[in-house]
Amino acid sequence: MTARAAISALLLCMLPVLVGAAEAPDEGGPEFVMTEALQEMLDARDDQDAPIVDEKGRSHFEGLPAHAKALFANAVDGEFIGSADQLGVILSLELDSSRLELVLTNNCLLCHSNPGYQDPPTLFSLDPVAAGSPPYMDLKLILSDTHFRHNLSCAGCHGGDPTGEMDHDHPDEWPAEHDERVDDPKWIPGFCARCHSDVKVMGRFNPGMPTDQFDKYKESHHGRALLEEGNTRAAQCVSCHGVHGIQPASNPASSVNAKRVPETCGKCHADAKLMKDVTLDDGSPMPTDQLDEYRKSVHGRALLEEGDTGAPACNDCHGNHAAAPAEVSSVAQICRTCHARNGTLFDGSRHKEAFEKNEWPECEQCHGNHAIDKTSDAMLATTKGALCADCHDEHASDNPECKKTAAHFRDTILGMAQATKEYASISHGLAERGLDVEPIDDELRSLDDTLKLSRSTIHAFDRSDFDEVAAQGEESARKIRSLVNAAEEEYRERRGGLLIALAFMLLVVLALWLKIRGIEREQAGGD
Amino acid sequence: MSQSLGETRHTRRRFLDLLLGLGAGGWLATVFYPVLRYLTPLPSAGPGGPVKLNPEQVTALAKQSFVIVPALGKRILVFQDAAQKLRALDARCTHEGCTVKFVPGESVIWCACHNGRFDLDGRVISGPPPRPLAQYLAHQDAEGGVVVTPQQA
Amino acid sequence: MSNGDTRGSLLRWLDERYELSPLLAYMRHKEVPVGAHPMVWYYLGGATLFFFLVQVATGVLLLMYYQPGEATSYESIRYIATKVPFGWLVRAIHCWSAHLMIVSLVIHMFSTMLLKAYRPPRELTWLTGFALFGIALGFGFSGYLLPWNELSFFATSVGTDSVKSVPVIGHWLLLVMRGGEDVTIHTLYRFFAAHVVILPVACFALVGVHLLFIQRQGMAPPLHGASGRKGMPFFPNFALRDLLLWLVCLTGLASLAVLLPYGPSLPGMEWELGAKADPLAPAYPGIKPEWYFLWIYQLLKEFPPHLFGLEGPELCLLVVGLLMGFWAMIPWLDRSARRNRPSPAFTDVGFAAIYFLTFLTLKAADLGVAVVPTTPEETAVVAKVCAAVTIALAAGATMLRVGLYDHDWFVLSTAALVHVALHGLLGWDYLEAGAACAAAAALIVAAGALRRSSSSSPGASS
Repeated sequence: MTARAAISALLLCMLPVLVGAAEAPDEGGPEFVMTEALQEMLDARDDQDAPIVDEKGRSHFEGLPAHAKALFANAVDGEFIGSADQLGVILSLELDSSRLELVLTNNCLLCHSNPGYQDPPTLFSLDPVAAGSPPYMDLKLILSDTHFRHNLSCAGCHGGDPTGEMDHDHPDEWPAEHDERVDDPKWIPGFCARCHSDVKVMGRFNPGMPTDQFDKYKESHHGRALLEEGNTRAAQCVSCHGVHGIQPASNPASSVNAKRVPETCGKCHADAKLMKDVTLDDGSPMPTDQLDEYRKSVHGRALLEEGDTGAPACNDCHGNHAAAPAEVSSVAQICRTCHARNGTLFDGSRHKEAFEKNEWPECEQCHGNHAIDKTSDAMLATTKGALCADCHDEHASDNPECKKTAAHFRDTILGMAQATKEYASISHGLAERGLDVEPIDDELRSLDDTLKLSRSTIHAFDRSDFDEVAAQGEESARKIRSLVNAAEEEYRERRGGLLIALAFMLLVVLALWLKIRGIEREQAGGD
Repeated sequence: MSQSLGETRHTRRRFLDLLLGLGAGGWLATVFYPVLRYLTPLPSAGPGGPVKLNPEQVTALAKQSFVIVPALGKRILVFQDAAQKLRALDARCTHEGCTVKFVPGESVIWCACHNGRFDLDGRVISGPPPRPLAQYLAHQDAEGGVVVTPQQA
Repeated sequence: MSNGDTRGSLLRWLDERYELSPLLAYMRHKEVPVGAHPMVWYYLGGATLFFFLVQVATGVLLLMYYQPGEATSYESIRYIATKVPFGWLVRAIHCWSAHLMIVSLVIHMFSTMLLKAYRPPRELTWLTGFALFGIALGFGFSGYLLPWNELSFFATSVGTDSVKSVPVIGHWLLLVMRGGEDVTIHTLYRFFAAHVVILPVACFALVGVHLLFIQRQGMAPPLHGASGRKGMPFFPNFALRDLLLWLVCLTGLASLAVLLPYGPSLPGMEWELGAKADPLAPAYPGIKPEWYFLWIYQLLKEFPPHLFGLEGPELCLLVVGLLMGFWAMIPWLDRSARRNRPSPAFTDVGFAAIYFLTFLTLKAADLGVAVVPTTPEETAVVAKVCAAVTIALAAGATMLRVGLYDHDWFVLSTAALVHVALHGLLGWDYLEAGAACAAAAALIVAAGALRRSSSSSPGASS
């Protein structure tokens, strides 16, 4: 065989291989075979001849891996996806393939989002209110639900088999009759606790999560009201956490996220109609203005307006599952988790004994509970209407030195506050004139620190303790005064230096001018 | 008796020249004095450069294990931890701006305003502060003085 | 006279080595024309030079402490202004002298233009002066960024942005100017190099050439008026008077630096250090470039996004380029002046330019409202107030022109004022009013030219 013949033969043999390689799409997995029904749905058009499954949906479908497409085909085949509209809705969610798998293998969800099979009360849709369904039948909501995403899906709570065929008997697997279930929610806490109080179960999904919520709930006012007194208006798990869109509290969308807690609690506690007949422990009717007061308070504004999650919401003081109004004896303990210094000082003060004797809730007595306002120096006034004066007039009128002490506190603090403001404006004026105000500003910050510390030290209700702290303020003020004087002196020196320089300059200008005149006179007048 | 015109002019010119000379000399002095002062470097290094603690601050550091040092418009907390190592953090609490302090007994940085606590690297341990404190460098120089570099570590 | 002896022997010593006598003789004969107009205008070039020399001196001093860098630009300026002995003074003088230099330069440019000092043989003096004007603006723009504070950072972002509208090389120019897509510390490094080396070298060279021309040719005599009078000797008379002015300027500069270290608190003319630049923070409203750039900043805002198939900024830069080109070519365009004949048309061009620049500058400075205008109504109020002020100033100027100088040609300056009135007082769109007035003025001028050329008497002046 000649070389040429051998090469030709080799190429001839390779031909089919090359052709075969060129043909194969090389997906590396089972190919997806389009079914007629699915294709029909994808191509379906409405009355105006516009495609029902829009361009975005169709391109999303095209981009899916083969197994996801196969799931769609199966769902259409089994008639769980019953219409092009439903297909369009699912594709419009633009879920990735792992989420799609959760959805498309969940026949409950598919069937219950099929408007052809469901009446509004049991239909999931993108806009439940428009469809006439309860607001928790929101398709987007359930897909973001934390239980759903952990693959607990519908069956986890509702029972049944998500892979099963359509079965009209499955509602019977539900614990009780529908209407009773809704009217009397007593069963809910125990139902959720089936998992959430079971350490082994929770250990499978979220080992760090507490499992004592139900126990706490049983001791709480809500728990007692519902489980012992049978008050169906009392809050249970669903009231705060929702039902289909449950998120972890760290998620900003969660109804129990710190910034949303006040509004969630307020859903009931700010509703006068709902809270009718609800009384406090002493029999008086429960107020419904807490949310309003909280919103105006320094904590409310910090949390809700400035986004400071360090500020307490309802649950930080009242607890969440063990929600109860704080006991008188525990108010102070709660406040002092943040306001530690004030709490410690108060403990060592003579007010502690007096308050204990009168059974007054420590911090709350002067600062309020919900409507805690930013403290003001006016509280220290000795005139009628001021906090300290009124209380002392009524309960401690045999201690006249206290009024003098209060006056002393007030005068010192007002003096310091005034000095801070004045010196800040002086500093600004000096800076505008080009002087170095860094040392002054630094000392001003020290003064401001002392002011804050002094206000805090009031809680010791002791003159000498207070004076010890306030003395630093005097020291700072003295330093600032001398620094300001030094700066003013510097400015005077600059001006003085300018005057000297100006004097010499003017001298030169005068002499030069005379010289010019002299020269020109010489040039002009005969020489 | 009267001087000749030329002589008068001569004296006047001499007087004018003197005036001019004095004025110019004085004026030059008022220019050169600031320039010479300007050119003379200050004992401390320069902008953003290391800040040396003055004796008052060193005493305070020794007495209470920490001192607040102003530098570059900021306030820096310089402290000595249990291992005698010099450290420096920004003294302004990241919650509401109060000045923090070092609590040697608990080896923690504490803010009195809302009980915020930071570890010795400035990270938040507990309480409302949202962000950690910026770290700076502090070390002892050859003569035993304490030097803080206000640039972030 | 011992002084004279010493001086004389020194000069003799130098003369023996460098043959200075011809040069000295030449300088002794140099004269400054004494003519019909006050000589004050002859001093302005020298005043500009004085302020520039102050800039060089204070700039060198600042350079000893300034450190360009992300963590050091702002901090070193702060250090100079607060800690360095008399650092505040050096910085204050540097900032004041910068602005005064440009004021002096603009007055110098307009005075030479109105007095037609550009006529032959001084065309190149005019051109080099024009180049120096550009360099001075470059100094101002580059120096402004060096403190790396909020104000200068945003002003530089806005200012460099317009460069991308240059055709073909616009984007490349932007990258080169900014050292990247955005204004960063790399922009500062480049501006620093420009401010401290590139521009000074160019400036020294051009100033040297500009002064050489003046020394060689003498100062331009006035167009009108008997110039039979003997001129004022440059040395010592004019030189000493110039020195006197320099000393007065220095006195003023020192006083301003001590009493108003951060500027006169006018928009575009303040240099408090403020906060350090933060590239991530959004710009605050009402950010403006320095006052000498306000006119072009405002003109850019008057153009719509697209016009005549070009992008607005591109077209604006084209218009500005044409205007600048016209201005640079005046020595060749002003034929009457070339023949040493009166040229009232070009005098009027000068005034038209002044009114044009004044109105735009005032409008950019938001004269007439207390806060930055955000609605079209507020902008209209600003336009109205600026138009009123400009027209009032122009009325005063025109009265002076007629009363003192017997001017009688007002077509172009009137066109400029009508433009201002149409836009500011009647609410016309700026460009539409401008086009209308330009067209009307062109027609009137063309008609006048035609009439003159068809009239029998040749060379009749209007």
